[in-house]
Amino acid sequence: MDLKRSSVLRGVKRDRVYLLLLAPALLYFILFRYVPMFGIVVSFMDYNLFKGVWHSPWVGLKHYRTFVHNPDAWIIIRNTLLLGLYRFIFSFPAPIILAILFHEMRWKRFRRFVQTVSYMPYFLSSVVVSSLMLMLLSPSTGWINKAIQSLGFKPVLFLQDAAWFRTIYIGSDIWQYAGYGTIIFLAALASIDTQLYEAAKIDGANRWRQTLHVTIPGLIPTTVIMFILHIGGIVSVELDKAFLLGNAANRDTSDIISTYVYRIGILSGSFSYAAAIDLSIAVVTMLFIYGSNKISRRLGETSLW
Amino acid sequence: MLVSACSKNEESSTSSSPGPSADASATPKSAPPATLRILTENNTSWPPKADWGVWKWVEEQTNIKVKQELQTGPESLALAISSGDMPDMISVFQSDVQKFGPQGAFEDLSKNMSKMPNVKAFLDKNPEEKARVTAPTGEIFNLYNSGAGEGSQMIWFYRDDIFQKNNLTPPKTWEDLYETAKKLKALYPGSYPFVFRHGMDTLNTFGPTFGFYPEVYPDPADPAKVKFGLQEPGAKMLVDWLHKFQEEGLMPPDWLTMDYKAWTQFITTNKSFVTVQFIGQLEIMNNQMPEGHLKFMVPPIGSGSKPYLPKAGQEGYGLAVASTSKNKDAAFRLLDYLFSEKGKDIQSWGKEGETYSVVNGKRVFNSTYKEPNDLRIVSGIQTAATYGLFDFNAWLSLVKESEREAYVEAPKYRFPVAYTRPSLTPNETAAVSPDNDQIWKFWTGEVSKFINGGRPMADWDKFVGELKSHGLSNIMTTYQKALDRQNANTK
Repeated sequence: MDLKRSSVLRGVKRDRVYLLLLAPALLYFILFRYVPMFGIVVSFMDYNLFKGVWHSPWVGLKHYRTFVHNPDAWIIIRNTLLLGLYRFIFSFPAPIILAILFHEMRWKRFRRFVQTVSYMPYFLSSVVVSSLMLMLLSPSTGWINKAIQSLGFKPVLFLQDAAWFRTIYIGSDIWQYAGYGTIIFLAALASIDTQLYEAAKIDGANRWRQTLHVTIPGLIPTTVIMFILHIGGIVSVELDKAFLLGNAANRDTSDIISTYVYRIGILSGSFSYAAAIDLSIAVVTMLFIYGSNKISRRLGETSLW
Repeated sequence: MLVSACSKNEESSTSSSPGPSADASATPKSAPPATLRILTENNTSWPPKADWGVWKWVEEQTNIKVKQELQTGPESLALAISSGDMPDMISVFQSDVQKFGPQGAFEDLSKNMSKMPNVKAFLDKNPEEKARVTAPTGEIFNLYNSGAGEGSQMIWFYRDDIFQKNNLTPPKTWEDLYETAKKLKALYPGSYPFVFRHGMDTLNTFGPTFGFYPEVYPDPADPAKVKFGLQEPGAKMLVDWLHKFQEEGLMPPDWLTMDYKAWTQFITTNKSFVTVQFIGQLEIMNNQMPEGHLKFMVPPIGSGSKPYLPKAGQEGYGLAVASTSKNKDAAFRLLDYLFSEKGKDIQSWGKEGETYSVVNGKRVFNSTYKEPNDLRIVSGIQTAATYGLFDFNAWLSLVKESEREAYVEAPKYRFPVAYTRPSLTPNETAAVSPDNDQIWKFWTGEVSKFINGGRPMADWDKFVGELKSHGLSNIMTTYQKALDRQNANTK
């Protein structure tokens, strides 16, 4: 017991500089991620802002039951999961493919230019991206529909058709984030031993073979880590864009958990009900991450923990 | 009990002339200095400025410095309240008051009437206003602005020059509107003759001429009963018309996502000729258009025999005092000033020499103010939280002689009932809010499908039946109960 404690202390002393470096991040997580967790108790109460957590009456699972019995609940959950899943399937591979293409580009100056341009959309806010979408896709004034009409087709009601919402959401996501997402994969590519390429060349491998047998295997550990991190994102689709692009005509697909929680919780002031929905979702997210981590640990050596 | 006790005390001080005697108590010399934080809207068309005249005049009259804090979105109010650091006063709509008032966010003004003789006199003189601000449990959590409601009326207007040029007369019915729009489309193939920009909310404006408002409202035939508009036969007729307009390219296909800028472009570039919009936009557009002219249009008759606009005139925006404020007395003093005759005058007209001069016994605003909206932009006059009572003549005095017609004509077409709902208790609010969201989501989605052609109009009656499976009966019983209670309380 004593021995253990002293070794911990010794460890702390030895790593003090690193621990000090960790401190700000740790403080951030405690303050902004763990302390607010206490707030989940309001989902079991009829929370009153002015009575506070200590004096609001407990109501057990009332709000969870209300959510489960709401006929919209299933639609909202399905929309969220599908949007997250499609986003995962289509957005996740985009930066990997782009990174490999950048890697294969031999004209360095052009490559740097294209790379920089591809980062740019990342720095636009969802508000700007959404209004860009609204303008470009407008059936009366938008360029895209003007082009469609000039080819002799009827204008497409992109944003007034539930069937288009997911495509637009995911398409704009890829445009916005793929370039920036390549950074981590490019770093992984840079760390691949050049000797491997030389050996492959000696063995007679062409560019395509080299990509297939050296580049892609070299990316796998990073990809797996990113994959697990992204799994959590399936359920936590961001509010902004879904909210800004959503309207009465596409709400069948655009109403997701976060827009619903925003409407019910913040706008109509039902904090307890909204907290109950949010907590249910957080639990599902955790199960997703835990499950995928477990699977990846079974299948290979790479895992988050 | 409390209210009646207060009124006794005030009889002596306010009975003769409520204005001057109350104002005297609020002169800067006798009033202690205070600073109030007020949360208000952030309107990009008249961006708030710290040096607006309206705040300067408040300080001169009451010794209160106002710090305006701005809402950045519809969630700002909820966040301000839940943050624990509420501003001293807050601009509120009825729905905000219903949500947060009973939870204890706002001070009960009915208990403080002795400090606000002008407010009390105003409410006593206007029992309808008093009923509107009184919560089901008797508290008064807010006061509504009064006097500028005429300015938020939605009206119809059309391009009279284009109509004249092509020998067309303004449509009298929706049938006419449709035929006229077809003719205009033939004459101007790239145009969308009919345009509106509030998406689904525009049904609130179109509805009355078909005898309904979309959701819950008092029955015009018997205002003691609540109705749900989409069950009315008129709703089907309106949606059918809009579907026709959409299908034949007579209104822009993106009617649902149209914003102010896009709407302005349609109007100013000869792309649209008939529209509905806030009354003030008529003059603003006429001033902006390089050529052409817009004119007030009598609303086309939908069903029935009378043309109607929504009932307007009342304002739905007002002020509440935060229950957590440390400056409540200053807040009451400010409210009382805003509801005094002097406050009404100064906050509507500004000050002689500074904003206006008297010519031939009539007040004339100086040349800084060219159109009514400049009152807001330059001095903040008639913006949120800057007035209690408003003298609408101030606004009208800047409306050009040629543009006055709309203000004279619009009130003639008012629907008998306003689009309002009775106040709910906190329990009722909590019980009905998921259903309200559910039914709103359902009907707006389906109606947009009917209009865009995603669902055939033959399905309408089925749709009306489906409303019932989206919480309609709970909504109706809740609001009927609330209306009964409100009526019992006012009697």
